[in-house]
Amino acid sequence: MRRLLGTVVGGMLLQWTITASAGDVVKVGLIASYTGAFATWGSQFQQAVEAYRALHGNTVKGPGGEEIEIQFVYRDTASQGPDKAKQLAEELILRDHVKFLCGLELSPYAMALADISKEAKVPVVIMNAATASITRMSPYFVRVSQTVPQDVAPLGPWAVAHGIKRVYTIVSDYAPGYDAETYFTKTFNAAGGEIVGSARTPQQETNFSAYMERALQAKPDALYMFQPAGSPSVAFVKAYVERGLKAAGIKLLGGGETQELFLPNFTDDIVGTVTSMHYTETNNNPANLELRAQLEKMFGNKSVPDIASVAAWDGTMLIQQAVAALGPDVGGLKYIDFMKGKKFDSPRGPVEIDPVERDIIQNIYIRRVEKRDGKLVNVNIGEVDMVKDPWKIDNPPKSN
Amino acid sequence: MIHGRPVLAAFGHALPWAIAIAYFYLAPYALSFGTQVMIWILFAMSLDLALGYAGILTLGHAGFFGLGAYAAGLFAIHVSPDPILGHFAAVALAALFGAITGAMILHTSGVTFLMLTLAIVSMLSEYANQARGLTGGDDGLQGIRIAPIFGVFEFNIFGKTAYVYAAVVLFGWLLFAWRIVHSTFGRSVDGIRQNPRRMRAIGTPVWWRLLAIYTISAAMAGSAGALSAHSTRFVGLSVLSLLTSGIVTVALILGGTRRLYGAFVGATTYFVVQDWSAKISPFFWEFVVGGMLIVTVLLLDGGLLDLGPAAVRLRDRWRAGREGK
Amino acid sequence: MLSFALTVLLDGISYGMILFLISVGLTVTMGLMRVVNLAHGAFAMIGGYVAGYLTQQGANFYLAVIGGAVAAATLGAIAEMTIYRPLYRKGELSQVLLTVGIVFVATGAVTGIFGAFPYPVVFPAYLTRPIDIGFREYPAYRLFLIAVGAAIAAVLWLVLDGSTYGARLRAAVDNPSMARAVGIDVNLLFTVTFIIGCALAGLGGAIGAGILSLEPAYALKYIVLFLVVVIVGGEGSFGGSFVAAIALGIIDTLGKYFVPEAAAYLLYAAVFALLLWRPRGLLPPKSAA
Repeated sequence: MRRLLGTVVGGMLLQWTITASAGDVVKVGLIASYTGAFATWGSQFQQAVEAYRALHGNTVKGPGGEEIEIQFVYRDTASQGPDKAKQLAEELILRDHVKFLCGLELSPYAMALADISKEAKVPVVIMNAATASITRMSPYFVRVSQTVPQDVAPLGPWAVAHGIKRVYTIVSDYAPGYDAETYFTKTFNAAGGEIVGSARTPQQETNFSAYMERALQAKPDALYMFQPAGSPSVAFVKAYVERGLKAAGIKLLGGGETQELFLPNFTDDIVGTVTSMHYTETNNNPANLELRAQLEKMFGNKSVPDIASVAAWDGTMLIQQAVAALGPDVGGLKYIDFMKGKKFDSPRGPVEIDPVERDIIQNIYIRRVEKRDGKLVNVNIGEVDMVKDPWKIDNPPKSN
Repeated sequence: MIHGRPVLAAFGHALPWAIAIAYFYLAPYALSFGTQVMIWILFAMSLDLALGYAGILTLGHAGFFGLGAYAAGLFAIHVSPDPILGHFAAVALAALFGAITGAMILHTSGVTFLMLTLAIVSMLSEYANQARGLTGGDDGLQGIRIAPIFGVFEFNIFGKTAYVYAAVVLFGWLLFAWRIVHSTFGRSVDGIRQNPRRMRAIGTPVWWRLLAIYTISAAMAGSAGALSAHSTRFVGLSVLSLLTSGIVTVALILGGTRRLYGAFVGATTYFVVQDWSAKISPFFWEFVVGGMLIVTVLLLDGGLLDLGPAAVRLRDRWRAGREGK
Repeated sequence: MLSFALTVLLDGISYGMILFLISVGLTVTMGLMRVVNLAHGAFAMIGGYVAGYLTQQGANFYLAVIGGAVAAATLGAIAEMTIYRPLYRKGELSQVLLTVGIVFVATGAVTGIFGAFPYPVVFPAYLTRPIDIGFREYPAYRLFLIAVGAAIAAVLWLVLDGSTYGARLRAAVDNPSMARAVGIDVNLLFTVTFIIGCALAGLGGAIGAGILSLEPAYALKYIVLFLVVVIVGGEGSFGGSFVAAIALGIIDTLGKYFVPEAAAYLLYAAVFALLLWRPRGLLPPKSAA
């Protein structure tokens, strides 16, 4: 009885704290790392959010015509553990009365928020965390970025169709790496290819000489890589060239390692690398041109648009549109319902928020690194339309 | 210590708890931060026993903290969600690990010992990373459900239960630590820090004393880890990281070693400054915290707790200067 | 088979050379000045970033590397005269606190000035390709590291063994009070040696950027490696740090090649075992303590 009373009172208190904020200001908490090993994510999220809002305004007109101001509150997880993300989320909800949470570059951060999102009924717009199962963890999760299996799966069949029959895989030793390895192997084998060897490297490793040696010995047609964005990706591609794999005719397949953000770190030896990703910087659709122009205008060359920017841009748009359509105070699930099934034109191409899984359905592009006008860029050489996350397809939800 | 000034001393002892109680009522929406600070105070205090009093140079204390956290989390998932039982299990495991590793390495000292502790905690951290089935790897230990304490006090987003729980545990350990450092055992450990050879010469079983204090310190750190697991209902790899060891060491030294309350001052200052400066600018808090550490060392000799005595000395010198003229 | 063994050896040695270049300054600081300088990685990082900046602006690679070393040395000189001097008298704990503070400030500064993204050093094209060494192709970069490392090690050894400065340095490491008693200006020796150590660290950070990538977390990430080299080799021992660095490089590489899952364990287990076997390090200097 006491516990029931406690829960009821607690629940009422919670609702009160969340709605206690002033009527026409909606605060959005962006939790990401601005310092430490993952510092690039925080910067990019923030830049994209500011860019979107500079173009589309900080206020929206609510359903009754009222002016609603949307404020973003930025909190640094400092590349520390998920418990930091959880603590920041709690404070943002209890102290700052945010109506939305977003950001979250790492899957563990997002996972740590599952319980809170349910307890506090706050929608969480995930702008990067890419482990497939995340959106199942809470009905308040919606993802606007990508899942690893989604990005990886189309590459296998493409490789086989283009004469690559034997592949050696090297992935980073953490959950997204395992996902990449699993899905590449699966789709590659299914299309008739053969995996001749595999290895897992410690996270944040930048010294790949030994792994490259083994790959060289296995004599594959291509090397498939999955490394976290940042110094490991850069070091990996450099090692691939330095160790003579390229010279031996072994092609390089990957994903996010060749994003525009990192291309300046490489010499021309990276030309020819084929990757699959949901965003190619050179896309010429209007939304992408708008994003790039705005980022360039506001931040010059301190900003390079890539998947983090796109996700944050789209996430901001969804949040602001949801508030405009429903008003500042309707409660978490209604905002989520608004976002479900939304189809729109993102800088990456056409996208849809899956109405059942609350995950993103988007085009996956096969691209190759080329040199254009003296600069290294990714250029589309293939496209697979409206790919739904294969993990969700393989693992249908158990209950409703 | 504040000798011969019992009123001031009593005030000093009561102050942290007065602050804790005030915080509970004044900041009901930021209790989880307060809980975290108290957990780190306990962690720093455990290090004070080993580093401050016994002079054991260790960078591996995160090993005990992390072990306690994972033990508590795994206990809740696989054995029983009761927090009290889990807490005891965590403390016992941390103490055992402390005893075993201490036995292996306490015959060395100085930087050698330091590096050995570093090696141990690194291997432990690597194991936790690899044993994904057990620990969740870098996703962390998810899905921990903690039962209400005594069946009544729930753990929820408000964190009231966690806050009081942490405060009570901290208080208990403080009493225990106080008794120890003021006992004969404690004084002999202090003597070992100052001059191990002489202590041996007068017949003290040095190695055994060090092992004892190291084990106690490990148990206390494990308790802090259990508090962490229970209050956040989450355990990530960072609990075993070198950075964690580094931060607790910095927090302790900042406050001042060998006074038990140094842990209180240091941990609170470090986290409050870090939190506050990170909110002002996520990019520049490192300057602020780094600057604070540098200034503290250059100006004070014994950490922040030395501010009082240092001010007194300054005043005395100023007075003497004036009278001298 | 032999070719492969040789490759792994070369990989390990080249990695070890970088560790040596960076750590040799630290071993002197800790052995001679008895200061636990946890900020040593920051000097390597600064050298790397400055060299990176210069090469990105189009400067000649070798000049940029020297620029990095000079920058690290200059900052080292300033730091030594202002912040480190008071440290000599204070205890180890104060040193830990202060040098950690320096690391924080350096990390923040680097993030603020150069950004949070991985920062490249632009190497000349001939260093990014493999070259033919007879029985296989091997990265020129690694050979370059081995050559530079060996050359500097040789110069250091000659200076230590053959010059007055070297003799004074060895004397001061072995027995500072005795050294003072015979008229050696130990304080000046400290300063000069500290600056040289920082310069070498900066050099190592610059040319080693291909292995130890430049990023704001650099100083914090790699200080453990440098400490391992110094302590396993024996504080204050040049020969010790050389041997320890090469050994660490080889063990790490071997581990990654043969048992990639257990590579991290292997390294720390090796450190653990080595220190229990030789608590004062592999080649400790003969000191009075």
